[in-house]
Amino acid sequence: MSLDPQHATADDVRERAAIDRSVRYPVLFFFTSAAAWLFVATLLGFLSAVKLRVPTLWEGCEFITYGRLFPVHMNALLYGWAMQAGLGVMLWLTARLTRSECRNPVTLIAAGNVWNIAVALGVVAVWFGAGRSLPWLDFPGWVAPLLGLSYVLIVVWLFPMFHRARAGEIFVSELFLLGAAVWFPWIYFSANLVIGKGGSATMGAGANAWYMSNLMYFWFAPVALAATYYLIPKIAGRPIHSYVLARIGFWVLAVCAGWTGFQRFAGGPFPAWMPAVGGAAAIFALLAVLVTGWNFRETIKGREKLWEYSPSLRFTMFGALMFVIFAALNAFSSYFGVSKILQFSHFVVGLDTLAVYGFFSMTIFGAIYYIVPRLTGTEWPSGSLIRSHFWLSAYGIATVVVTMLVGGIAQGGAIQQWNLGFGRSVEIGNPWIVGRIVAWLLIAFSNLGFFYQLALMFLGRGRASDGPTLIHKKPGEAASAEAAAGLEPEGAGV
Amino acid sequence: MSEKNLDYEAEGASVVKLHDSVRRERILPPSGREPLSFGPLILGAFVLLLGAGFLGAYGNGFKDDIFITSYYRPEPRPAGAGGDTAAAQLTYIDKVMKDGKRVYGNCVPCHQPTGLGNPGQFPPLKGSEWTAGGTHRFAAILLKGINGSLKVSGQTYTLPMPPWGTLSDQDLAAVITYVRHEFAGIEEPGIVTPEMVKAAREEFSGQAVPWTEAELLAIPKDEMLPGAQVDPVTGEPAGEKAEAPAQ
Repeated sequence: MSLDPQHATADDVRERAAIDRSVRYPVLFFFTSAAAWLFVATLLGFLSAVKLRVPTLWEGCEFITYGRLFPVHMNALLYGWAMQAGLGVMLWLTARLTRSECRNPVTLIAAGNVWNIAVALGVVAVWFGAGRSLPWLDFPGWVAPLLGLSYVLIVVWLFPMFHRARAGEIFVSELFLLGAAVWFPWIYFSANLVIGKGGSATMGAGANAWYMSNLMYFWFAPVALAATYYLIPKIAGRPIHSYVLARIGFWVLAVCAGWTGFQRFAGGPFPAWMPAVGGAAAIFALLAVLVTGWNFRETIKGREKLWEYSPSLRFTMFGALMFVIFAALNAFSSYFGVSKILQFSHFVVGLDTLAVYGFFSMTIFGAIYYIVPRLTGTEWPSGSLIRSHFWLSAYGIATVVVTMLVGGIAQGGAIQQWNLGFGRSVEIGNPWIVGRIVAWLLIAFSNLGFFYQLALMFLGRGRASDGPTLIHKKPGEAASAEAAAGLEPEGAGV
Repeated sequence: MSEKNLDYEAEGASVVKLHDSVRRERILPPSGREPLSFGPLILGAFVLLLGAGFLGAYGNGFKDDIFITSYYRPEPRPAGAGGDTAAAQLTYIDKVMKDGKRVYGNCVPCHQPTGLGNPGQFPPLKGSEWTAGGTHRFAAILLKGINGSLKVSGQTYTLPMPPWGTLSDQDLAAVITYVRHEFAGIEEPGIVTPEMVKAAREEFSGQAVPWTEAELLAIPKDEMLPGAQVDPVTGEPAGEKAEAPAQ
């Protein structure tokens, strides 16, 4: 074995630094404005859960009704936080993977501003009662072109980067990034077209369910997996276990995911084959998820101890685990016997939260903890704040998923008993909403530390570097996560 | 502002002051060449079997006219039911009401077993001018659904009403009769027949999208579906009986 085959040359480091400098303003813009939206969204998540539990609170004020708070919360979380942070990660990853500098940071920031304005307009419109009452597509119709346009204006600049990329092996993250870049316009346009222009109300509901499922499988999943495929080998200092498996995962997802969605309305006025195809596709998509999870596991095998020290690895691995759980629950609840009970219960909300927060957001936190020090030149001030961010979020997610699953079974079972009456099923489901309140409270608390640290980093008040910020270690105590974990360096991380 | 103003150009790639985090990072190793191992293959085969079995069991050969019916709630057994003999003693209207109650299971999630709906979300059927009015309008709503806002008992509701044209003529006739009797308190002229619904279905077949409030208001309020009335006890056409006193 040569001494250190993975050590970067001085040229490599200089090139890397130049790339990071070229994207730092747009990426930091996306991260900080996304974090601001996350702050709004978590507060509203808490407030809407409280309102659902105690509907008489501030009775009479239309702006604090659940029917408005919840869509505002969900859309702010999806478009303000999740997609925007995802765009930042996409941009940085693409620049790094194609080894090309970003030539138009100002254009990207301008497009990012359009995105934020569109989201803000949509949120205000929904809050004032102009929402469409279509989950995840609540923004009124006129916001859609604006949001779609700004998305295109942002991702279109990734393509020159791919074009400039040097010849050589295509890293699997690039596949996922390219996929996500082109899939979103397709699903967003199609869903809005069917809902706005054609089809019956029934078909509109179907298109809505299809969009929700595909925003998850065709955008959130590939962006998060691209980040995980990049971060795990970087931090573990190991190559990805198998390129074949990675590509299988991508292509299975690409082929199967577009068919999912209709199973959400199994038993609705659709021909039976439509939800059946949706359910089967959700099961087939499980293949992609399991193969990807297996690949991650094999890659990190023997070096799991890094998990304890590296913030990025901790968040991304947790996200990957949640992805597997989400996909399994999604496939399981597609079975008609199961969906019959769960489809209109709290369970659905739990599953959505698991996907958007437990899987996607946690992975993106990992990526942000990795990326931001490279852009600002300072280190995260406190490892213990990162640790509390992780654990409070993890407990929050566990709470919401478990209570919503159990509460969903109780509530859905009661809906099945026709002679109980609908009101009784609401009463039975109601106590479980406390789980949702607690969960969003925990998540809001967990994020305070994140906002504080991100603000310090953004304002140039981060810690001057004397080694990476690690969990369980004082700054400067260990030169890398590997050193902290007492592992032989196969590469290096953090 | 020109893009060149951003300082990455000014600092240039030759500047020595590089971020520590960038410097200690190593290269992204090329992906491993591990061939497919046994584990993922077994897992994959298992998942494929599950998915294919699911599609085979529930896909119903991709036929457009097969719907999932197992989602409808089971009808409870009437207390002290004596089986066939009890059923045989039911009059025609009782049978229609029983049928209607079963079909009404589709409406319960929104309109509630009480027919009172859910304030602010789903309009009530009880005391509503739409159910108490003529059957022509009623059939139009059920067959094609409603889109946009609708004023019911002085309140405006915005959630769409899905079309129920997928139900059979018999089921629709029964549920209209049931709702009018149970919630609107209407006895005469009593019963909507499957023939009437069939005629209405043909009449509205040109309507591709759900109705709007204005379109529904265009149908006269008390207009009944055309067609022969039936006797509430025997279920026979009531025509001869009605004419008999006149002769």
